[in-house]
Amino acid sequence: MRLSVLSAAIGCLALLSCGGRHEKTTPEIVARGVATLPGDPEDRIWEKAPVHVATLLLQDMVEPRLLEASTTHVRIQALADGSRLAIRMSWDDSTRSDLLAPGKFGDACAVQFPVEGGADLPAPQMGEEGRPVEIAFWSAAWQALVDGRPRDIHAIYPGAKVDHYPYEAGSLEPGSSEQTAMESRYAPARAVGNPVAGPHDRPVQDLLAAGPGTLTPAERTLSDGKGRFASASWVVLVSRPLPATLAHTGRAQAAFAVWEGGNREAGARKMRTGWIPISLEEGR
Amino acid sequence: MALVHNWQLDRAMSYWYPESRPKKQFAAVFDTNKCIACQTCTLACKTTWTSGQGQEYMLWNNVESKPYGFYPLGWDVQLLERLGGQSWSGRHYEGRTIFEAAGAGERVLGWRPDELDYAYPNVGEDDSAGAELQTGAFMELPHTKWFFYLARICNHCTYPACLASCPRSSIYKRQEDGVVLIDQSRCRGYQECVRACPYKKTFFNPMTSTSEKCIGCFPKIEMGQQPQCFVNCIGKIRHVGWISRPEDARPDNPVDYLVHIRKVALPLYPQWGLEPNVYYIPPVHVPRSFLRMMFGPGVDHAIESYRKAPDDPDLVGLLSLFGSSPQIVPRWKRLGDSVIGLTEAGAEILRVPMKEPVHIRKAFDLAAGVTRTNTP
Repeated sequence: MRLSVLSAAIGCLALLSCGGRHEKTTPEIVARGVATLPGDPEDRIWEKAPVHVATLLLQDMVEPRLLEASTTHVRIQALADGSRLAIRMSWDDSTRSDLLAPGKFGDACAVQFPVEGGADLPAPQMGEEGRPVEIAFWSAAWQALVDGRPRDIHAIYPGAKVDHYPYEAGSLEPGSSEQTAMESRYAPARAVGNPVAGPHDRPVQDLLAAGPGTLTPAERTLSDGKGRFASASWVVLVSRPLPATLAHTGRAQAAFAVWEGGNREAGARKMRTGWIPISLEEGR
Repeated sequence: MALVHNWQLDRAMSYWYPESRPKKQFAAVFDTNKCIACQTCTLACKTTWTSGQGQEYMLWNNVESKPYGFYPLGWDVQLLERLGGQSWSGRHYEGRTIFEAAGAGERVLGWRPDELDYAYPNVGEDDSAGAELQTGAFMELPHTKWFFYLARICNHCTYPACLASCPRSSIYKRQEDGVVLIDQSRCRGYQECVRACPYKKTFFNPMTSTSEKCIGCFPKIEMGQQPQCFVNCIGKIRHVGWISRPEDARPDNPVDYLVHIRKVALPLYPQWGLEPNVYYIPPVHVPRSFLRMMFGPGVDHAIESYRKAPDDPDLVGLLSLFGSSPQIVPRWKRLGDSVIGLTEAGAEILRVPMKEPVHIRKAFDLAAGVTRTNTP
């Protein structure tokens, strides 16, 4: 009798309410081993991966804070092929936000691992001084550019009328280095090589942080990803090199964040998780 | 939050970072009585710095008609309303600054303009305020209807709200000149600075996903030159220089003289607490209550002094230095009917007569064989 009550309690815990639905959830993230990682978040192979439903918390630790919850849960799945880890995140979102403009923000998500393994973990919120974390950040706006949205003001404002840009001067040969230099002159962030200014060949950027406010681009982005929006939810695949601790010990910790662009979330204004255990599981 | 001193409020106030004044502080004086809203300053800035894709809507410099002109829409009244009562006791500010009024989880009391708030750069242009017209207008003196032109750039504040608000410390204030800049290599476009700057002089660039702002034409400043919006001002309403702290004010420093010594030039919305460094000689014809809201408690003294300028050779002399040189004029002196602009070391840059000599030319130019037209 006692055993059956306990089983029922565990069963209830495993059936978390998420976005109005009841879903089965594993107590931690299990990365199932596969021969080949999928490149698409909608690949049928994901049906084999266990789902961990993570509760998102407010970022209410450092200013500027988010004080009202927006996205409440993120569904997390993982697959690994021995050298890389693919993580699939999905969450409910009634508004697709993939245009960045004055007062307009984009949907986004991120997955974070400690750089160093071990039981003594850095703070889950961006790590801490001397104990950095590595982050793979996916942006819906970058996804739209990768998917073919032109990098042009008319893609944002279809009715825009522009008389003339300096780089369109008749004296500048189209495609010449002189013309590129003129265009860069009025795009300072791109001119100094800020990765957020593009061009974007992938929707993901690798970053390092050692505490709030310290986010820095990694020397190179080795992660990749793909996001799809359908039926009022995002499904995003982020693949990255297998974290060293996970590769060596079969266990690690990961943390996640989701930004709801429709709620004007960016930077520190986000929903996030604490550290969640992740383990490797041999393929079945 | 740290406790810092804000001399414009005559008190200490809270700020996100400790007090750290630069070695020199960029400052400017704008004489609103001389501005004709020709927007030459606006275009000079636009063509120099913001002609690229994503910068179309940006006006690092703009001129708006007050009280009904705004760029972006409602930039000041939106905040005035949110901040609530802003009372002064003499020169002492008794209300809250935007740092002191920051809500839970915020560094600054701010608000985000909507996209469309940037769509009307000339809203309210030349619209008059004053008594409503019920039966038709007739000439009255002094005029009951009024408006004035307010030219605006970044105030390169001593306590910038943009800098305080950036969670990644991408905004910095240069020690050498006090110019406030957004590090374009570090900004990630969170738009916190757009939300925080009460003057709404930071702008998000949707094509680079970073925010941009007035850079004070620092490459020109580094060469001793005045910024573009200053040298292109055909009304000669602007003077750029360096401001000292009140206790260190020098009478031979033009900005110090106008701001600290004669007190004819006043900060814009000092009650917000940023210690802004563009100072305005207020318009003489506008209701004082409106001006006190906008420029603080020094309005009456400033206008009375300015009105007496014709009998005040030093004041009128210094005002005639405005717009007389492309170089920054950090020192000045009056010598009889001439005003002399000097370098820091005391070398003469220019000499301006306080009264232009009158030249009378004959109506017919014998040498050229043409009749002259009278084009002043």
